[in-house]
Amino acid sequence: MSASLMIGQEHYLIVSAILFCLGLTGILLRRNMIVMLMSIELMLNAVNLSFVTFSYFQQNLEGQVIVLFVMAIAAAEASIGLALAVMLFKKFKELNISFFEHLRG
Amino acid sequence: MAEIILFYFLAAVTVLTAVGVVMNENPLMSALYLVLSMLGIAGLFFLLQAPFIGAVQIMVYAGAVMVLFVLVMMLIDINKDEEKFSGGNISALFKGLTVGVFAGLLTSIILRTPMSTKILVAQQATEVVDIARLLFTKYVLAFELLGIMLLVIPVGIVALTRIRGGTHER
Repeated sequence: MSASLMIGQEHYLIVSAILFCLGLTGILLRRNMIVMLMSIELMLNAVNLSFVTFSYFQQNLEGQVIVLFVMAIAAAEASIGLALAVMLFKKFKELNISFFEHLRG
Repeated sequence: MAEIILFYFLAAVTVLTAVGVVMNENPLMSALYLVLSMLGIAGLFFLLQAPFIGAVQIMVYAGAVMVLFVLVMMLIDINKDEEKFSGGNISALFKGLTVGVFAGLLTSIILRTPMSTKILVAQQATEVVDIARLLFTKYVLAFELLGIMLLVIPVGIVALTRIRGGTHER
């Protein structure tokens, strides 16, 4: 097996970059608040993938520890965001962000 | 050889389902695609010899977080979703341009950075013990802060759901 055929660091990093850009597209283009939260999760996962990639290719475990922290914070962020979404739905009967132009209390 | 095939398979599944998350018009289908994408990323973690992180990924993301999303969608009427993509052609053009520029920036950084291409000698899976040792010695302060944050978050959510009206009325 030649060395050029091996899966290197770049392959994983490019998958991570593609995922991050897809999440960014979702944030920018979609209007449903829940789908935007899902896109944020996608971006966080892309970053986790690059952390684990560096951790593996540099034989350094600290990347995996950081990934654990990121996962906990992402779960907390998702719960807060969904609670806010439920609140907004109770108030506006709508989750499309183009209807949230009057957010004054 | 099996590793290469597995990598390309997992990468294709992850990326295609991520496209499904962004492009699907039904938020419930988006959530289901997101589960598949998370599972693909967990498979990539296993391939990177990080089985503990992969297992946590499956449990926390594909399990807990996605159940939370689907549960909230049950509470919310998602049948009508007109105007699912934002506004006019001009703004869409600028958004596409932004993403394109950012993607080009990332790829050029990745491709221009000299990566160490040498294949590692000892490629055995990381043990949970090693992660735990690092977590409870060097990062113990961050770990405790994370515990405090996880205590504050439920309190905040309960406080949030008990607010009636806007910020100006009690």
